[in-house]
Amino acid sequence: MVKTSKLLSLVLATTLLLSLAACGGNAKTKENTGSANSGSTNATEKPAEKVEDKKVTITFQNIYPDPTDPKNQIMKKLVDQYHTDHPNITIELDSLNTDQQKLKLKTQAASKEVPDITIVNPAAQMKPFVDAKLFAPLNDMLDQNGLKATFQEGLLDFYSFDGNTYALPDGNNIAVVYYNKELFEQAGVKVPTTYEEMLEVVKTLKSKGITPISIGEKDSWTGSFLFMNMLLRTNGGPGFLQDVVDKKKTFEDPAFTEAVDAFQSLVAAGAFQEGATSFDYNAGENLFKTGKSAMYFMGTWATGGIETSSVNGKVGVFKFPTINGKGDPNEFMLAPGSAFAISADSEHLQETKDFLNYFMLNFPKEAFEAKGAVGVGQIVDGDFAAAGYSDMAMEVLGLFKEVKGGDLAFDNTMNPGTAQIHLNSIQNLFVQKIDSAEVGKEHQAAYEDNNK
Amino acid sequence: MNVLKVSRFTIVAFILPCTLIYFGIVFVPILVSLYSGLLEWNGIGQSSFVGLENFRNLFFQDPVFWPSVRRTLMFAVFSMAEIPLALMVAIFLRRYIRKPNFLVSSYFMPVILSVVIIGQLWKTIYNPAAMGGMLNQILETVGLESWTRSWLTEPKVAMFALYFVALWQYLGYHTLIQFTGISNIPAEIYEAARIDGAEGFKADRYITFPMIIPIFKISIVLAFIGSLQAFDMVMVMTGGGPAHATDVISTHMYNMSFLSMKYGYGSSIAAVLVVVCLIATVIINFIFNKLEKRFS
Repeated sequence: MVKTSKLLSLVLATTLLLSLAACGGNAKTKENTGSANSGSTNATEKPAEKVEDKKVTITFQNIYPDPTDPKNQIMKKLVDQYHTDHPNITIELDSLNTDQQKLKLKTQAASKEVPDITIVNPAAQMKPFVDAKLFAPLNDMLDQNGLKATFQEGLLDFYSFDGNTYALPDGNNIAVVYYNKELFEQAGVKVPTTYEEMLEVVKTLKSKGITPISIGEKDSWTGSFLFMNMLLRTNGGPGFLQDVVDKKKTFEDPAFTEAVDAFQSLVAAGAFQEGATSFDYNAGENLFKTGKSAMYFMGTWATGGIETSSVNGKVGVFKFPTINGKGDPNEFMLAPGSAFAISADSEHLQETKDFLNYFMLNFPKEAFEAKGAVGVGQIVDGDFAAAGYSDMAMEVLGLFKEVKGGDLAFDNTMNPGTAQIHLNSIQNLFVQKIDSAEVGKEHQAAYEDNNK
Repeated sequence: MNVLKVSRFTIVAFILPCTLIYFGIVFVPILVSLYSGLLEWNGIGQSSFVGLENFRNLFFQDPVFWPSVRRTLMFAVFSMAEIPLALMVAIFLRRYIRKPNFLVSSYFMPVILSVVIIGQLWKTIYNPAAMGGMLNQILETVGLESWTRSWLTEPKVAMFALYFVALWQYLGYHTLIQFTGISNIPAEIYEAARIDGAEGFKADRYITFPMIIPIFKISIVLAFIGSLQAFDMVMVMTGGGPAHATDVISTHMYNMSFLSMKYGYGSSIAAVLVVVCLIATVIINFIFNKLEKRFS
């Protein structure tokens, strides 16, 4: 008994000691950051001496957790290089998958603890953060080393509010239909150029026992992305949602209901795999990547993943066809990528800007070498074919040259409240037939309700 | 208090840390959340005070809320209905199996598995036959093609498919609790009863049931509160879809707070959930107090 109590007191004492030590440690770090802060104020007066000995830690929240992803490798390489060049700077990576990152950022934003560098989505999705003044404007940094000129023209507009650019995108993609040439041959069908042909293709594939289109509709944006492409056609061009915002049109407009009807005819033809609404994004994509479905509608960011899958070499791409003769196939769903933003409250604002400047300047070159440059939002110098990019990648790059404008995804244009109702409404079309006028009404009510 | 010969100061000194922590991590967040339920706030920027507006919308205008409440309560009813079954399993284990520990641990297995694993497992079981779904394949082999469904994506059956998984997972949990309860009933009582001629079901009726009531109550409360908070499994398996068909209160709250970015509105749903939990606990306690009085 005596022994046990001695042991116990020992354990307790150790815990106490540890917690004391922990407290002490904390206090020290606080002091350090404090002096670092005063350092930065001094730095403006005497920059040269102070900068060198100052230890700086930058938190870099990102969505590249997968070590096999070229972007993860590029990021690590650039960070390592930066560490070697700037021994006083430590970049801490906080790598999360997309959904986790979104949630974490929202939680951090609520308590105003945004990491130095974080990831946001363009336009409407980043607006609440910008409105809350959480991000630092990057205009001055874009002018350094000619960074601004490396971005494709007009791309930065999606990340700019009132003349200030708040985030720098890692990509710029368009939506295409990937198709499995082997399965198309088996069923004896050709690439459709109109929507009516596409329905025929779907029916033929289905009758041959091949899943025509796979989709990961549990993540409801996938279906919405496809639907919005249909709306882009039935509306005869881009800008439907903008017209709704400008009160020139409502969701009860014929263009919208026609798109709903077109979408339902696709569902009714059995285009999607059974139980599509329980497949998440990856599971849906995997059906295509393992040759179990003939078509896959997705942003061109999927190119890299398909290249490393078992169907590589058998895959081609085509533009989404016209519907009832309406629309221009050269107008695409545009998907300006997720983008790097810098916290306005960053303790090391200047250092963080310098690092991001370096990162973005070198990003396209590294991406090109890592064969991940399809859909990069910056101008890439280099001969893709000579560098060994696949035929499919070349085809995708060819489509990029034909882009004549298009629309953004629904949730990049409308506020989150409206977007959620839209996403659920489209998901519902997968499981039951609904009058298209009803769908339009539901959208209009949701829009008005969320924009009071 | 003087009986203990401990000064008040000492009592306070020892109770205070725990009380403070408890208040800090339980009551304060609940109060904060109640307060945010009165705001119109996207969770990031400026908030504005709107009084009871959120609650008014919630009760009278939200087309998703009441169905999700109904599904949550159904969830609770099913989980509570499962407990007599668990009790029966426990009684049989005690009576007919010589070394029941191994079986009890096996039944307990699903509880220690992560919900994500269980979700993925059952998703595969529920898949359409063409995608290797076990349940549908079995139905086909035994000639019940007409019974095959895509279990998780048909709005009418999806929720029942989810209830079933939860029941499957927690049967072992409640069996363990009941089993422990039965094991704690002194064997002498049963021996005495046998002398008086009470065996088998009769012994259960007059000894096991009355003596197990407190344990039974624990199970019921746990099952009830657990199903009110059901979230992870629904999220993994259907995400509340297709089109809200499997939304429960907590997933609705999540969708509103984080996806629709209506943090204030989400908080008002959370407040309702807390109140429902409290009321239910009080009711359950009341019923069981009556029961215990009747039997003792």
